[in-house]
Amino acid sequence: MASLHLSFCQLAGNRPPSHRSGRLPVRCADERQALFNRIAPVYDNLNDLLSLVQHRVWKRMAVSWSGAKIGDNVLDLCCGSGDLAFLMSEKVGPAGQVIGLDFSKEQLLIASSRQHSRPKACYKNIKWVEGDALNLPFPDSYSNAITIGYGLRNVVDKQKAMKEMYRVLRPGSKVSVLDFNKSTNPFTASFQEWMIDTVVVPAASGFGLAKEYRYLNSSIQEFLTGKELEKLALETGFSNARYFEVGGGLMGNLVATR
Amino acid sequence: MVRVSRVLLRDGVGISKTLSEILVCPLSKQPLRVCEESNSLIRDAIGVAYPVSPYIVDGIPCLVPSDGKIIEADDKPKPDDNSMRKDP
Repeated sequence: MASLHLSFCQLAGNRPPSHRSGRLPVRCADERQALFNRIAPVYDNLNDLLSLVQHRVWKRMAVSWSGAKIGDNVLDLCCGSGDLAFLMSEKVGPAGQVIGLDFSKEQLLIASSRQHSRPKACYKNIKWVEGDALNLPFPDSYSNAITIGYGLRNVVDKQKAMKEMYRVLRPGSKVSVLDFNKSTNPFTASFQEWMIDTVVVPAASGFGLAKEYRYLNSSIQEFLTGKELEKLALETGFSNARYFEVGGGLMGNLVATR
Repeated sequence: MVRVSRVLLRDGVGISKTLSEILVCPLSKQPLRVCEESNSLIRDAIGVAYPVSPYIVDGIPCLVPSDGKIIEADDKPKPDDNSMRKDP
């Protein structure tokens, strides 16, 4: 089942829009930020509903692939309401440090609220920062591991985002990038598009968010395939890059090592 | 140092010491200075202040470049007014 994560990209300069089934073109970063602020209150519940809680499994896999371990300083970028940050917190324990970064203040407030309502002592190691994935406020080689879930597809400059993640990673550490899979298999791609049109958008309309989620297909179309993501990582300077398809090919996870 | 400790202990205002020691200016990647009066993180070299949200304990700092505020020359505190200055 498709997970419920919004996706918008910026229409850059004179590049013509490319989208599945003749859908509307993309939007700018400001509109996207406002959109994530708007959906914040229902984001978590809708994710569970539309993926039949499978998104939790994919996120656990993403965290495992990041290589995060006890005592590490780690980052979760485009953290939203904090799903991956909480999982990273459990991995690094009280001796570690997790920073969740997102450009939506509303999502961060929900993440902070969830943190303070949960009893686990290790969650005290999470700090939240409102920031831009293209201009990270962290020093070079700061982090032992990075996760970014359903975020890379939404940034307006994926190359710059990869460069920033490379910069803040310690040599030998990994970034784990989870997102929708832009499949090269026509059957999988068609099924994914059908799922979004038939399940995701109607479900989102129940929350008054059909318009926001209708862009998922065009966003996936504008994203990179697994091979292209591996290539981007290697061109950025990562020493190793591997892409794994999960969720029956609907989702994918890039693991790149600095 | 005592002034900084008082800020960190007040509910709803301020930024954790941990974060203030980690974060850098998103543009210059250089260290930031905590300013208690304005509850912000400042990069003096480029004259920008990034706000810290007062909404919750251990306020959420906003380090989005476009949300940085240009500091007027006469708004800048004197160097010896700041007990957590990290760089000259």
